[in-house]
Order: sequence, then structure tokens, then C-alpha cells
Amino acid sequence: MRGKAAQARWGGGVWRRGGRMSSVPGLQVDCEELLGAFQEADTVRFERFAELWRERRFHTIFYGRIRALERNKLTKKTLEVAQQYFLPPYAFQIRVGALYLLYGLYSTQLCQPKQKIRIALKDWPEIHKFQQDLINSQHYDAAYIFRALRLARAFHFTAMPKLLNYRTKKKIQENEFKEEFKEPSNRVNSLITNDVLEELMNIHDHYQKMKCVISADKSQPDKALSLIKDDFVATLKDITLEHQEWQQNRMKLFLNAKETDEMLNKKEQGNLLESEGSERANALARIKYKSYSAVVEASKSRRHRQVKLESSESGSNYGKSPSRSKKASRRPQLARKRDSLGIKGEMQVAKETVTQHIGMPVITEENSDEEEVSLPKRKRRC
Amino acid sequence: MAAAAAAEAEAAGAAPDYEAAELYTRAFRVGALGRCWMQHLGPPDLSLAAEAAADEDAAIVAELGCEVEMVPELQEVCSIDMLMSSDKEEDPDVIPEDNSLLTLRIRKEALERREETIIVDRACRQETLAYEMESHASGKRPDSPTDLVEEGELLLTLNIFYPVIFQKHKDYKPYQTVLVLGSQKLTELRDSISCVSDFQIGGEFSCQPDQAPEHVSKDLYKSAFFYFEGIFYNDKRYPECRDLSRTVIEWSESHDRGYVNLQSDDMEDYTFNDLSLKIGFPYLFCHQGDCEHIIIITDIRLIHYDDCLDRNLYPLLIKKHWLCTRKCFVCKMYTARWVTNNDSLAPEDPCFFCDVCFQMLHYDLEGNKLGEFLAYPYVDPGIFN
Repeated sequence: MRGKAAQARWGGGVWRRGGRMSSVPGLQVDCEELLGAFQEADTVRFERFAELWRERRFHTIFYGRIRALERNKLTKKTLEVAQQYFLPPYAFQIRVGALYLLYGLYSTQLCQPKQKIRIALKDWPEIHKFQQDLINSQHYDAAYIFRALRLARAFHFTAMPKLLNYRTKKKIQENEFKEEFKEPSNRVNSLITNDVLEELMNIHDHYQKMKCVISADKSQPDKALSLIKDDFVATLKDITLEHQEWQQNRMKLFLNAKETDEMLNKKEQGNLLESEGSERANALARIKYKSYSAVVEASKSRRHRQVKLESSESGSNYGKSPSRSKKASRRPQLARKRDSLGIKGEMQVAKETVTQHIGMPVITEENSDEEEVSLPKRKRRC
Repeated sequence: MAAAAAAEAEAAGAAPDYEAAELYTRAFRVGALGRCWMQHLGPPDLSLAAEAAADEDAAIVAELGCEVEMVPELQEVCSIDMLMSSDKEEDPDVIPEDNSLLTLRIRKEALERREETIIVDRACRQETLAYEMESHASGKRPDSPTDLVEEGELLLTLNIFYPVIFQKHKDYKPYQTVLVLGSQKLTELRDSISCVSDFQIGGEFSCQPDQAPEHVSKDLYKSAFFYFEGIFYNDKRYPECRDLSRTVIEWSESHDRGYVNLQSDDMEDYTFNDLSLKIGFPYLFCHQGDCEHIIIITDIRLIHYDDCLDRNLYPLLIKKHWLCTRKCFVCKMYTARWVTNNDSLAPEDPCFFCDVCFQMLHYDLEGNKLGEFLAYPYVDPGIFN
């Protein structure tokens, strides 16, 4: 009996039940429910968040008869749970929600002095960028709140996110992220960033100039050298944007389907899935058409030179034309990076062709390194 | 080698990262972390001044790039009152009935179960003590401004383990937690570590019990070292200090033990900022020849306004394990000060006594020894409680 009382007095024993990641059971569920509702509201306004917070009376999360020592621990853990949503890989909107959540939790906590939010040095660049994004996109409420937290000295600027004490955990917990909150992964976008586009633009300009130099007419490249579309950078950008749009639509449809799944009966659901399916098929068809047309557009007259190309380029080179630009060979990374991405489904195929479209040809002459890299590829193809 | 790697990391401006996930970090220069944070942060983040930076409208406009007219609206919309339901005054001790939060339902259940089983509902001594230790210095300010901790100072949290190998501590090793400042010397930490082995008194004193506690081992044997990242930092402040690490280094060099390039240096020449360390990695403090304490740096962060800002109070003890004390066998009340062997008057061997009981039992009024026994001064591990 005494032992039991002692355990209860310390509190820890009783409260350690459940709880996926924290030792505050139920907290993660509550936070995710609130953030989920915020996500559904499809906004980043604090006004809306405050409404949702008030509906749930979220400030009562710290209530209950708890003594000071336990309360400090509990509050620390609570902030830690909320903070994880503030960092990538979560989507922008969830991160804004997490910022509001932190603001609410920090301000309504009952500890004296207040427990602080820990920020690790390695996470700071992300957070700083996030703040810049808020300001640039004129989300003044979010930016104001982040500023208010900083002014209130709500942060501990630390070396690492957690205290480390070399205790090997019996069960290493998988850091599972809530899938719905994550930024939809978009490998096309991660491959074709603004920087890459700019770089491509530069290379293209340079290439164009080089062609002019070796041409008879110095102001304009020879017709024979016209192997690539002049506006290919712009085209590429359009294609990426289109893809992104398509992905978003698909995501929305997917979410809708999920929702109706819970609400409606099977029949209706079937219909919806069907429509989703046809939507997908349409999109794929569109992309396929695009990629094939791109191939056709590539100069047919040059197809005989493909043999040469294969030594340097991997994958399926439809109408790629070689170029004598020395500059291109300086960027073999691009080509190799592409190789490393596996081909999964038609989506990837579409992307592949898109990238092929821009891929700078890699010159093989006087460049044994490159030869080595592509050698196994050629073998496999033969 | 580690230092070179740390210097490299510093040059790259790299933030410390895990070497073993969730366990410990790569080695990095402590001072570099502080400089890195200082580069990223502005004065309002670092400020330790009492007045928070005045929140002027102009500053908001400048930082956010919004219109001046928007500021009052922003302040209103984003005020924390927006999060509080206005209706009624609530008691934070009471979990409201009509809550929708899972956390609260679980907590309520747990608290109710506790109510049923518990006999006395108050904080026990240990809990009160733990809370006191954790919070007693928070927000303290020095009397003289010269003792004020500077902005941007680093605060290290160290767990110092007791060298106990009792069976009951098989799974959980007791330790104390200390906060030190980055600009403090290693010797300042060394002097603050309290350990019973420093207070041992050698010798047998059954014939002259009054003359015993003259010299404790702390005064006799002053050598000690810290071991961090392949370097032994020896305490060389006193002429009688010996290089305790020499034996270890020679041992490692005499055979091919797999430890390359162990070095030794003087403890008094280094501050924590000068070290390169891994957070979460076990290091060593050794004194009295063979009394070894594992040391783990669990955290490094910038000093905060709510921290203790009196430099003189560091190294600051914030957590201490409560060790059981051995009581006098006679009165069962006071902590033991003497231990006897082969004692014709005692029922046990060894037997423990407090000062008063020991004198009353073993000596007559003139101070003459009664019976046969060997007496040694005893220092209880719990004396620091």
C-alpha cells in the first residue's frame, strides 16, 4: 500500500500509459486533431485558429491538480510535442498552425517562470526561412506572432533539440510523421528548382553564344546547329507547373474520397473513385501525349547521331542532340542525378522525358571520367 | 584529431548534429556554438536586460513590412485573449466537466484513481527538495553588476555520476546535475564536485578519538583529471599535484591498445568554451587516484533571461540524488560518524556509531578506552543531502 501511494505521489507511474511519442498520453492526438481541423479550414489566419482553439477550450490542457515539479515536466513535454509540427517535413500550413499552437501553449501554461521552447541550431535556418516566407507572402498575423514569441523570450537557443544522456532506449521509437500533414512530396519540383532553371537559362545563353561564334553569321547560329528549342527553359517551367497543379488536384480528390469514405455508403464511394480514376487516366494521357510530342519535335534528321550520344547519356534518348559545348561537361551531376532516380510508373516516365528534354548533353571526347560512368549503362542496353 | 575535426566543422559554420541518432553528437568546439548563435540572432533575442525591448509600432512596421494602420489591428487579432473563452473564471486545479480533449480525460481518470489509492496527499520531502533545487536560483541577479553573466554566454548542463556500484543501482546510476558557464574554467567545476572520497580520513583512531579529523584526503591528495575527447586535463595548480593521467597514457602506449594519440594538458588553462565535446557522450572525472565519475554533457544552450545571472553561483547544482544515510546503531537517529571493527562491545562487525553514542559506549568519563576495538572515522555518502 505504501509503495503504491509513493508511486502515485510521484505521479510518473500513472501517467506514463499510452502516448505514442510523449509521456503525456493523449496529447499528440489532441494536437493533431486541432491541426487537422486547421488544415481542413484551409487557411493560415490566426483568427480562424483561435476560433478552433476556443471551441476545444485548448487552454485547459494544462488543468488538473498537478504539483509544480510535475507541472514543469509536463509543460516541457507538451511544448516538445507541439514543436515537432513546426519543422519540416510538415507542410507550410501545418507549420503555421504549429506556430499558433506553440504561441497558445506557451502563453497559457501555468508554470512560473514559463517553460521555454527549445530551438536547435541546426533547425534555425529552416525557421528563419519560414519567417522570411511569412513576411514575403504577407501573412502578417503569423509573422507578428513569431516576433511576439521572440520578444517574449520564449525560446531557448540550444545545441540540440533534446537533452542527451547516453541512455539507450529499450525500444527505439520510429519517428513517425503524420502523413496528411506533410508537404506532398514532389520530386519533379525538387529536381527543377528556380536555381536549376536559372542555371539552365545561363547555360542555354552561353550555348547560344557559342553557336553564334562558330557560325558563319556571327549574329545568328547556323541552321545546322539548331538542335534545341530556343524557349525550352520556359516550356520546362510550364510543364512543371502543370504537373504540380495536376498533383494538387489529385491530392484533393484523394482527400475527398477519404472523407466520403467515412460518410457515404459504398456505392457512392465507388462512383467517386471511378471519377478519380478517369481523372487520373486523363492526366496521364495528357502527359504522355506531351512527352511523345516533345520527342517527335526533336530533330528527326539527327537521329542517326544517337549512337554517339549513348556513350554519354543514359536512359532513353529519343531525340537528344549532341552539342560541342564544353560548358555542359562541367555539369555531369545533372545527368547522374537523373540516373539515380528509379523509374516508377508512368508518372516517372513523364518526368523522365521532361528532364530529358532539358538535360544538357555530356561531351565524351577528352573526358574519360564520363565515359567510365556511363560504361555499364551501355553494356546493359546492348 | 578531434580538435582538427571540430575546427573544420567550425570553419564550415556547421551546426552540431548527431553522430549516433538520439544518443550523442559529433564533437564540436563549444565556443563555436555560441558564436554561431550570435551570428544568427539579434539583440532582442539575446538581451538579458530587465526591460523587454519596447514593442513600438514603428519596429513592427519595419520588421514585417506592413502598413502602420494595420498594427493596432494585428495586436488585437493576435492577442492571447483571443484564445481564452471569456465566459467564466476557472480554477486550473479542476478539470472541467465538458471537455473534449483526450489528454484531459486520461488525466482525470488517473487523478481519480490516485485519489482512491493515496493516503496522504502532499508532496514528499524528496519531491519538494527536487523542485527547490531545480528552481531556487532561477532568475537570480547578482548584487554587483560586475558579477552579471554576459549576453551570449553559454550554459552547459552536466550530469556527474556517483561512483557507486551497489546492486540496487544496477539499472539506474545516481547522479547530480550541474550548470556551468562556457567561460568558466574546468578547475571551477572540479572544485565544485563534492564527493565523499574527498572527505575520507585515513587511519585508526581508537586511542585518540578527539584528534582524528584533522586532514581529509582532499587536502592531502589534490591531483585530479578530466578526460574529454582524447585529452586528459590535469589539475596542476598546486606543486604537490601529480600527473594522474601519465599511468593511463603509458599503459596505452606500452601495448597496442587501440588508443592513439592520448594527450595531457593542464586543467587550469582551459575554459569550457575551449573544449571540443560531444553532447551526450560519457567522459570522465577522476580524483583521489581512483575515484572515477562519469560525466555527460546533456545540453548546451545560450543563457536566458530567466536563468540565474549571478556568475558567482555557478557551477550551480540543480539536481542531486538522495542517497540513503547510514544511521547510528545505538540511537538509530543520527548519521554514523564512526565505524568499528573487532568491537567487543558491538553486536555487529562492522558497526556504525554517531559521535555521541560512540564516545559514551567506548570510553569512560576520563576518556580511557574500554574494551577492544578498532575505530575509523566514517564519512557517509548521504552527508551532502
